Amino acid sequence: MSAQATERTTLAACDGVSVVYGDGPARVVALDAVDLRITSGERVALWGRSGSGKTTLLHVLGGLVTPTAGSVSWHGEPLSSLDAAARGRARAQGIAYVFQGANLLPSFTAFENVAFALRASGHMDGDLDPAGLLELVGLSAKLDALPSELSGGEAQRVAIARALGQMPELLLCDEPTGHLDSDTGTRVLDLVDALQDEFGFALVLATHDADVAARAARTVTLLDGRVVDEEEGR
Amino acid sequence: MTTSLRLAWTGLLRAPGRTLTRVVVLTASVALLGGMLLFVGNSLRTVSAGAVRSVPIDLQGPVTSYASARSVAAGIAHQPGVLQASATATAPLARTTHSGSAGATSAGNGGLLAVPTDYLRHIKTFRYLQGGLRPGGVVLDQQMAATLQARVGDSVTLTTRHGAPPVTLKVSGVALVSSADQLFQPLNPTTGPAPAQPPANIAVVDIGTFAKRLAPALRTITPASVGSSAQPGAQDGVQWQVQTQLDPAPLSAGSPSQAFAAAGQAKNRLERSLPGKVQFVDNLSDQLNIAAGDALYAQTLYIMLAIPGALIALGLAYLAALGTVDRDRRDLSLLRARGATRRDLLTLAGIESVIVGAVAGLAGAGLAFAAVQLLVKGGAQLTLGRALLTAGACVLLAIAGAAAARLGASASVLRGSVVAGRRAVQRERRPLWQRLYVDVACLAVSGLIYWLTARTGFSAVVNPDSNPTLSLSVYMFFAPALLWIGATLLLVRLRGGALAWAARRAAGTRPRTLRGFLLASAGRRGAPINRGLVVVGLLLAFGVNLGIFSATYNQQANVDAQLTLGADVTATAAPGVAAKQNLPATIARVPGVQATTGVDHSYAYIGPDLQDTYGIDPATFTKATTLRDSYFLDTTAKQALADLQARPDGILVGKETITDFSLRKGDLLRLRVLDHASGAFKVVPFHVIGTVQEFPSAPKDSFMITNLHYLAAATHSGGPNVVFAKTGGDPAAVAGRVAAATASSGTEVHNIAEQTAKTTSSITTVDLTGISRIEEAFAVLLAAGAMGLFVALAIAERRQELATMAALGAPLRDIAAFLWSEAALVLAAGIALATGLGWLLSKMLVAMLQHVFDPPPDALAIPWGYLAGLGGAAIAATLVATALALRGLRRLPLGAILREQ
Repeated sequence: MSAQATERTTLAACDGVSVVYGDGPARVVALDAVDLRITSGERVALWGRSGSGKTTLLHVLGGLVTPTAGSVSWHGEPLSSLDAAARGRARAQGIAYVFQGANLLPSFTAFENVAFALRASGHMDGDLDPAGLLELVGLSAKLDALPSELSGGEAQRVAIARALGQMPELLLCDEPTGHLDSDTGTRVLDLVDALQDEFGFALVLATHDADVAARAARTVTLLDGRVVDEEEGR
Repeated sequence: MTTSLRLAWTGLLRAPGRTLTRVVVLTASVALLGGMLLFVGNSLRTVSAGAVRSVPIDLQGPVTSYASARSVAAGIAHQPGVLQASATATAPLARTTHSGSAGATSAGNGGLLAVPTDYLRHIKTFRYLQGGLRPGGVVLDQQMAATLQARVGDSVTLTTRHGAPPVTLKVSGVALVSSADQLFQPLNPTTGPAPAQPPANIAVVDIGTFAKRLAPALRTITPASVGSSAQPGAQDGVQWQVQTQLDPAPLSAGSPSQAFAAAGQAKNRLERSLPGKVQFVDNLSDQLNIAAGDALYAQTLYIMLAIPGALIALGLAYLAALGTVDRDRRDLSLLRARGATRRDLLTLAGIESVIVGAVAGLAGAGLAFAAVQLLVKGGAQLTLGRALLTAGACVLLAIAGAAAARLGASASVLRGSVVAGRRAVQRERRPLWQRLYVDVACLAVSGLIYWLTARTGFSAVVNPDSNPTLSLSVYMFFAPALLWIGATLLLVRLRGGALAWAARRAAGTRPRTLRGFLLASAGRRGAPINRGLVVVGLLLAFGVNLGIFSATYNQQANVDAQLTLGADVTATAAPGVAAKQNLPATIARVPGVQATTGVDHSYAYIGPDLQDTYGIDPATFTKATTLRDSYFLDTTAKQALADLQARPDGILVGKETITDFSLRKGDLLRLRVLDHASGAFKVVPFHVIGTVQEFPSAPKDSFMITNLHYLAAATHSGGPNVVFAKTGGDPAAVAGRVAAATASSGTEVHNIAEQTAKTTSSITTVDLTGISRIEEAFAVLLAAGAMGLFVALAIAERRQELATMAALGAPLRDIAAFLWSEAALVLAAGIALATGLGWLLSKMLVAMLQHVFDPPPDALAIPWGYLAGLGGAAIAATLVATALALRGLRRLPLGAILREQ
């Protein structure tokens, strides 16, 4: 772990986290005794092949998956021991996701997807406006479009606007360019970088693409559920 | 095949929840059908039993002498399947006179019935009101006794034909001859039964006395001369005959068609056993033939009531299959990608369906047996054969249902390409029926048939003999059947468009509140909401239709029986006894009796016509029985009674009499009534206050209604001789208590349940209670199940959406709101649809059966308790399912779900 990282405020931390799915012959160790700290404002890439445990680690950090062993904390408070509702509140108040497939709510328009996230995180009455956020990601002309009417890149940009609506301290991106062509993917990553610079949230980005990982300040390499390498990037 | 079997078995075990849901839903569906099959079988046997029971004399064999009658009766009395064979005779009666204290009274043309003294063992053509038949005595029909003013112990003189020597016999009893039309019909075995206008005055004598003292003066009717007696009252000689009653038990064991065949075989066997000696007129086969036609009507009625429910229940199975359709589709596509052919997939689906269907079919049959045993009077009446047949039918139906649901839900992947099957979003093409507007056509044709049948008076066919039977065209049922089909298809076509539009309008543009998000979401989920609405709404409509129709049908069957009997319970006493012992008050105190009223039933002459006359108390009459507006012409029941109460000498006169005697309201009507004080008829003035068409306990043709006190004062009858009682509980039980409480007064007590069983028309004896109970129970269960399934299906289909909401940090109660709000929307729309469609269907069915009911229903009967239970079950199931869904949401494996793409 870098010295620079420990000087900043620790947002999320995994201590000896293991996640095991199934049992008997179907037993799969998704994470094996992983230690990881995410500090405010930093940009971390989780890099590894398919099945290396990147997504599971992302989900553990966001409280979507409860570890089989070890602990996860958010702002020093244990996250893994909270119930579903409390973890949900914690997510709403600081952790946002951008999924590989955008995961937009299919019966909501772009505007409504962002507005719903704003309401879920309690920011509806603040300065943030769903239309403004969509304008920020270049989609002011697509406010009333349904997800089925958006291209992959546009859907991902809506997902980013939705994540921003939560005013996150930590943004977890799971292969955000996985379903996009390379040009669109680059534009999306540029957008995320720009927004991080503007809003200052910590960014954890799971990817199997070395070029994408290279954009991060720190790259954590995973193999078969273990952290096998950690290096400072740009 | 072995690989397919293993794959199918593994697939079913790998998803136990999905398999269990399919089995449970199919079980409920086939249980409904199985219950219906069992009930229809039982019901057909009931129709057979009713038809057999309604025939007073099964076989009448004309013979040429008393000796021949005795010989033939003895020859067949002990044959298998024969309950009774009696030598009897009918003969004309030219004149009967009675000399009493008030002078000589005589009665005109009539008929003589000669029977052995033990005749009434199994043949019930008349019953004694007083006394009985003795050798050397005569029993008078009650109307003849009233005309002659003769009582038991008096002597009457019978003259069989003009010029014949009169024979004086002592009156040994008074009877009510109930089957005069059969008794006195011309007996021609080649033409069969021909019930004729029965004689007005009937005397019953012992056959030995008849043969010795009366028959010698008359010629004997032979088969060659039988035609002459076909004219009413034209019988001019002795008709010797053998009356035979068959054992009803074997005849009641099957359908009317089977009973018809068995009755014919029995008759042939008897005739063959005595070659050349007798040929029978077969009244039983005649009645069973009509019953077989009515059974077809009953089956159609049951089908109309039950099939929609069963089909909707199978729709529920389809809904259950849809719950996992996406996963099934992807699994099947994967198999195809790995080399499985369409045939392999069909085999796999077939094997799965056979396994699921076999389990569900057997469970459904068991549930059907239990339901029929618990809910139907008389139980399931299972034999091994019936049990195997029902179980087999249930298994076959379940397999067919499972296959239809499975193939229907996965049709696209079986038809389409592998790539298309693996696509998350499927492209749909409008089906052929939508392009051909079959739904609109069905609704239009339904309306047209209904309009045509309504315009032609619902084309009921009435056979206007003395024992009317009624047949309905089964084609009339096409109207409700097409309404069902058209409404269902139209709902499918609309895809919830109207609901979605309303929700979007209510949500407004760019919502920011939870309510707005809920409405916006619902506004774009018209198709899945509509799928729930189709099943839930149609199920509820089925329940509403069934409830309203059954309640109306039962109400009318009850009204019909009440009109015939007079009230729930009636007690008849000798003249003067009721008033002296204050029977109305005594009966009113019996537990279960809610109200009583006294009625004086007597006879009065209007011109030469002797008519039934009823003296009633207008103040208490409607407390003890029911009057309907349709009983009166140009007025209401309430107004007619008020008019009667306001005018002591007022009289309501039958429509036929009003026409025949050119009477008008306000006319003076002078009737000759029997003065019990003097024993002579005297003229009493009345004033016509209205026209009556029907009245409790009155005959269908001519009768009059007047004030009890005015009539009693004029006739010195001593007050009422019948007490009508309204009951609050089981009429049969109350009747038993009334009989016990009034035993010392010599009353004869009857109740409405007994009357319903006696009703001769098999259409009105089609008992819908059993099938209604079964289907109502299933409707409640299925409505509850449908709502539960809708919520479960919504979770299954929207799990990724719900998981995304949870990942965004939305509170669980907000996420749950997306489930319960849609369930509430489906429920509300379903209830609205059910109210409209159910009401329309029951209105249509009831209107088509107008002529079955006598009198026709004034309005539909609404079973509020059942309807509340039906709606309550659906609401309760929604609440429970939502609560379970909320619990399930807490446990959603968010990580795993969000990784699914």
